[in-house]
Amino acid sequence: MTIDYSEKIPNNVGLAENRTLQRALEQWQPEFQSWWADMGPEGSKGFDVYLRTAVSVDPKGWAHFDYVKMPDYRWGIFLAPAEPERKVNFGAHQGEAAWQEVPGEYRSNLRRLIVTQGDTEPASVEQQRHLGLTAPSLYDLRNLFQVNVEEGRHLWAMVYLLQAYFGRDGREEAEALLERRSGDADNPRILGAFNEKTPDWLSFFMFTYFTDRDGKYQLASLAESGFDPLARTCRFMLTEEAHHMFVGESGVGRVIQRTCEVMNQLKTDDPAKIRAAGVIDLPTIQRYLNFHFSVTMDLFGADVSSNAATFYTTGLKGRFDETKIGDDHKLVGATYPVLEVRDGRLVSVEVPALNALNEKLRDDYIRDATAGVERWNRIIEKAGIPVRLSVPHKAFHRKIGPLAAVHVDPTGNVVDDATWARNERAWLPSAEDRAFVSSLMGRVTEPGRFAGWIAPPARGINNQSVDFEYVRFG
Amino acid sequence: MAEPARKLEPGPPRLVTYDTHPARYRHWKLSFDGTTATLAMDVNEDGGLVPGYKLKLNSYDLGVDIELHDALQRIRFEHPEVRVVVLTSAKERVFCSGANIFMLGQSTHAWKVNFCKFTNETRNGVEDSSRHSGLKFVAACNGTTAGGGYELALACDEILLVDDRSSAVSLPEVPLLGVLPGTGGLTRITDKRRVRRDYADVFCTLVEGVRAPRAKEWRLVDDHAKPQQFADLVRRRVEALAATSDRPAGTQGVALPPLARTIDDAGYHYPTVDVRVDRAARHATITVKAPAAGEPADVDAIVAKGAAWWPLAMARDLDDAILMLRTNDLEIGTWILKTAGEAKHVLACDEALERHAANWFVRETTGMLRRTLARLDVTSRSLYALVEPGSCFAGTLAELAFAADRTYLAALPDAQEREPRITLSSANFGRYPMVNGKSRLAARFYDEEAPLASARAAIGRPLDADGAVALGLVTSAPDDLDWDEEIRLALEERASLSPDALTGMEANLRFGPGETMETRVFARLSAWQNWIFIRPNATGETGALKVFGSGNKAKFNRERV
Amino acid sequence: MTTAATDVVRQHLIDPEICIRCNTCEESCPIDAITHDERNYVVNPGKCDNCNVCIAPCPTGAIDSWRQVAKVEMYSIEEQLKWDSLPPQRELADAEGASELPPEVERIVAAASAGQGGASPPPWSAAHPYVNLYPAAKPAVATVSGNFRLTGDGASSDIRHIVLDFGQAAFPVLEGQTIGILPPGTDAQGRPHHPRLYSVASPREGERPRYNNLALTVKRVDEDHEGRPVKGVASNFLCDLAKGDTVNVIGPYGTSFLMPNHPGANLLMVCTGTGSAPMRAMTERRRRRIPLKEGGSLMLFFGARAPEELPYFGPLMKLPKDFIDINFAFSRVPGEPKCYVQDRIRERAADVAKLVADPNTFVYICGLKGMEEGVAQALADACREQGLDWDAMLPTLRAQGRYHLETY
Repeated sequence: MTIDYSEKIPNNVGLAENRTLQRALEQWQPEFQSWWADMGPEGSKGFDVYLRTAVSVDPKGWAHFDYVKMPDYRWGIFLAPAEPERKVNFGAHQGEAAWQEVPGEYRSNLRRLIVTQGDTEPASVEQQRHLGLTAPSLYDLRNLFQVNVEEGRHLWAMVYLLQAYFGRDGREEAEALLERRSGDADNPRILGAFNEKTPDWLSFFMFTYFTDRDGKYQLASLAESGFDPLARTCRFMLTEEAHHMFVGESGVGRVIQRTCEVMNQLKTDDPAKIRAAGVIDLPTIQRYLNFHFSVTMDLFGADVSSNAATFYTTGLKGRFDETKIGDDHKLVGATYPVLEVRDGRLVSVEVPALNALNEKLRDDYIRDATAGVERWNRIIEKAGIPVRLSVPHKAFHRKIGPLAAVHVDPTGNVVDDATWARNERAWLPSAEDRAFVSSLMGRVTEPGRFAGWIAPPARGINNQSVDFEYVRFG
Repeated sequence: MAEPARKLEPGPPRLVTYDTHPARYRHWKLSFDGTTATLAMDVNEDGGLVPGYKLKLNSYDLGVDIELHDALQRIRFEHPEVRVVVLTSAKERVFCSGANIFMLGQSTHAWKVNFCKFTNETRNGVEDSSRHSGLKFVAACNGTTAGGGYELALACDEILLVDDRSSAVSLPEVPLLGVLPGTGGLTRITDKRRVRRDYADVFCTLVEGVRAPRAKEWRLVDDHAKPQQFADLVRRRVEALAATSDRPAGTQGVALPPLARTIDDAGYHYPTVDVRVDRAARHATITVKAPAAGEPADVDAIVAKGAAWWPLAMARDLDDAILMLRTNDLEIGTWILKTAGEAKHVLACDEALERHAANWFVRETTGMLRRTLARLDVTSRSLYALVEPGSCFAGTLAELAFAADRTYLAALPDAQEREPRITLSSANFGRYPMVNGKSRLAARFYDEEAPLASARAAIGRPLDADGAVALGLVTSAPDDLDWDEEIRLALEERASLSPDALTGMEANLRFGPGETMETRVFARLSAWQNWIFIRPNATGETGALKVFGSGNKAKFNRERV
Repeated sequence: MTTAATDVVRQHLIDPEICIRCNTCEESCPIDAITHDERNYVVNPGKCDNCNVCIAPCPTGAIDSWRQVAKVEMYSIEEQLKWDSLPPQRELADAEGASELPPEVERIVAAASAGQGGASPPPWSAAHPYVNLYPAAKPAVATVSGNFRLTGDGASSDIRHIVLDFGQAAFPVLEGQTIGILPPGTDAQGRPHHPRLYSVASPREGERPRYNNLALTVKRVDEDHEGRPVKGVASNFLCDLAKGDTVNVIGPYGTSFLMPNHPGANLLMVCTGTGSAPMRAMTERRRRRIPLKEGGSLMLFFGARAPEELPYFGPLMKLPKDFIDINFAFSRVPGEPKCYVQDRIRERAADVAKLVADPNTFVYICGLKGMEEGVAQALADACREQGLDWDAMLPTLRAQGRYHLETY
């Protein structure tokens, strides 16, 4: 079997000259295609989708728009341009030349980092594969597919690293990425949040807003890595990750906007009446928000982590915006506050900053995620409705780390089991909530038309009009 | 604790070499009388290998043992007529007082461990020659026989102690120095001499030791005699032992000329072995070269070729290379084992070794190969064999691959004809037992019959990547696309791991089930003795080893661990 | 392209209501002109050079936001950081120069002058040009008053002389300036066609003096640079126009490739094909002023495949020899060796060098991108041959606005 590499797989990694990589991809590519056929967006095979394809890394080249049938999407392999004389910018190797090859010493840790990141990419495609059947508009359907193909491309990016730099183990891990299945009890994806269902579009928007933003922070930390190919891969992936967060932020924003419009039309804030009008009431949106925020909190890992410290000290994974932080980049003697439960209360205790890197990244994330929620609030404010959405306390509804041992309410008070049980339905989406949201889902396929529970976007994609035919059904 | 050599002597660290010659001995007197050789210890107090201590009372350091090792080699090869070696002392009232305590006190941990390993190998070699070559040893303990002195005697077939009311055999390490006997004393009194364990317990805590006749009663010695009768006793026992030996009579020996070794920045270079050291990557590549065509097949021609005969020349070069690297290149943690040349010439020599096994010289050469390979087995370095195109891992040289912790074979799916091969011969099935008494293949397969039978069936058939993988002879066979990266990563990864943990792990895995006295000696040395050596109770500022001779009393941390 | 000293600029902004603060723009900006705080991402008005690298990567389109503002009233970073939404477009006091230069025009103009290392200043005695009076949103409507084929019947190319009349609309142009044509309709993706730029082929007073018209030299595009068949949208539209048809025109553009106006100025012109348009404009300007006896000489090197493919061949042949020194180069005349403009320049090395060395000489080169290097090399050789240090001269020529290159 021969592949015209540069045509079929756009890349800037010299694929046409790299026999090892070619051979690995010859094996892997058909497996990927078959995974996409099995686990990719359901029933989408013949659709012409107006997609953005990266064909090179310059800002024009990676935003090439055209109609594409998704199985023919040109999943490319791109690294952000090399920064000349880049150094390892933190940890024990600070000041040494950045590694262009995997240091044997850190092979397994690096592989683990890459596999963990890589596993999330196909996982989210799997989680979202049924959503196309209930898309609220062609515009949204197209955005879903764009997210899906880009998650696919991120998988390619991670697989490239595994295959190009980790020899046989790398190839085996690359295959395992296609073999695990989101939500499969026997063969689950690595991280818990990626085994949750994405059952409806509100979940999807929340997921892309909150959980993909975790991706942004993870990628940004890996983009600081001393292992230069990883850093460059992640830097390029970040530009695509932005689109996913856009889908989430604007998606939730449009749901909120539509709800506010209906509230003002009906002059009511009664959830029952609002639901009866076919839109999602703000309290339900808040509960979805609580759920997705808390699930994402867990993705950052244990509050106090020796792995994170090791990854940092050995130069494999930095902090968010590492090079913009003005400290020693080794964290000698530095401390950072983390939460502990003492005497039934949350208290902040100082721990060595090296061990609190997960917590630091989580806090960076919370600031970013909160700012977006404030932008949603501005929509509500503009509509003149006296309600505010808010992110719950970071200890709320945690399943990982010491905070998993207690119940914490959304404002950060430790509560007993009875209180939790009494209020759970007010804090987290109930089965009824989910059933209601589900009941609104139905496919809208007429260009320019939108389901009743969501407002149209302010702008189309690539300066196209909102009623552009973003997806043509075969 | 002071560093050895390197700190005491200004300038570049001194290189330790293991080659010497009887004409240059400073500590031993080697004499021959018919079928008896006498090795009389007469340590020059001021002849320490490293400044900083005096070698009083026939105490020894590495330099003394290097001469002992050389003397044994000379007796093996240059004096085939010798049937019994008498180990004794040329000094009054002292046979040997063991390893020099001040030397131990000032040495680094690494130096002590390397020293102990070498002395153990030499003593094992004494027993090896007795077992395989008919060369018998008598310890004529004509004075105080303490610590390492008694351990040297324990390596002999018989121990004779002078009964002068003061001379005793002793292992005073525990009560005096807070450490253990380091050259197998504790193991040999049980495993070899079968001293009852309660007596052994008493013996090992008595600073002054045990004199004849109780020493004989407790099986610590074989016999004793008053000073006047001692020489006669020794003579009688020598005669009796000589009768059990099959060493040849009236045969000319084979001279062992100095090794043709050059040393430069790149490493150590020998006619049959090349060592290249990569200091930055902390590994050394040891390439063993196959003989050229034309090695003799006829036994007379083999003896005539002597030390130049490839099996012996290679064994001597490799043995020296191992010792040089072990002593002088502590940070070179991984040894890459390679071979170069034509397998058929290696196999031809193997055939000669097999066919003429009964010949004394061939037998000694086989012994030398056996001991050299055994030295590799107990080396505290990671051993990776790389089977590459142009290599000749066949027969005797295949043992290098089986001695290695991992073996990588370079598969060449697109150039099958250039793919390297491994070839088995009878040499791989018992000719070179490890110290656990098993062939490396038997140890590899835990004596399981099926894999061994498959391997045996493959004797003489060059095995390519698939064949070698199928028979379980190699760890993995990356192809040419993966090779460079796999090997680089494997080496870098190894180099990053804790050297101590690797030493322990490798020793554990190399010697699987089945213990012998030798494996117990090495295992206890590396486990207990090495642990004790680095504990403050021995080597801390108030540790027993440290304060010995200072008049100060050792202060112990009394916790039992 | 340097915009003329105008009081109004097009300020690049980010719509805070659409922006998701993903940092992509800041990451992609090559000159760090984008910054942010916890609230907003903003563009530094003092730094941004409108390179547009950030536009495509933006996932939301928030980056593609602009406001016309008086230069002295540009929104500062501090102001922008406080916004929750973009301010409305202000009413501008002075309408002149208020329109924005379309990005596509910027791109074409920048590419055209890239060969000389960016736009040079105009000659010191050039007249003040008007630019950008008609933006895409508000184009001028011109009426076709003539459409003539310039190339012979046997010629492989169809090059036309098209005269546009602006009626009552002011559309002042200078020789060397360009105008933009908006072809009607939309492209395959439903977006309006990009404007195409054409050099004005007539002098400033009009194709016909004191008429409000101008002329264009348009070649019908039926293949691309590599010879693959392709139907040029704008050129076919123009070439097919009939008298009386109307055209949407934007512009004018160009503040650099302008002719000197002082007496005694010499013009050295090198062109091929429709690159002759600005040369015709300048030559015509000078021809009309012959009676004023202002002095200064003209030298022209003009390349084409064959005489019948050469626009304005007939009229040129009629010009007095002591007015203009014309050198044709034909590359496809049967039975004759191929000759390119650079060959003619080398043949005339002594005269060329003498002319270039004169501080009153202004050099203009216009034609296909492919000619750039050969011509530059020929000029360099001609000067060196005459003992001049071309490498040292060139920067001076550029700095003094005496060397102008426009290729496409």
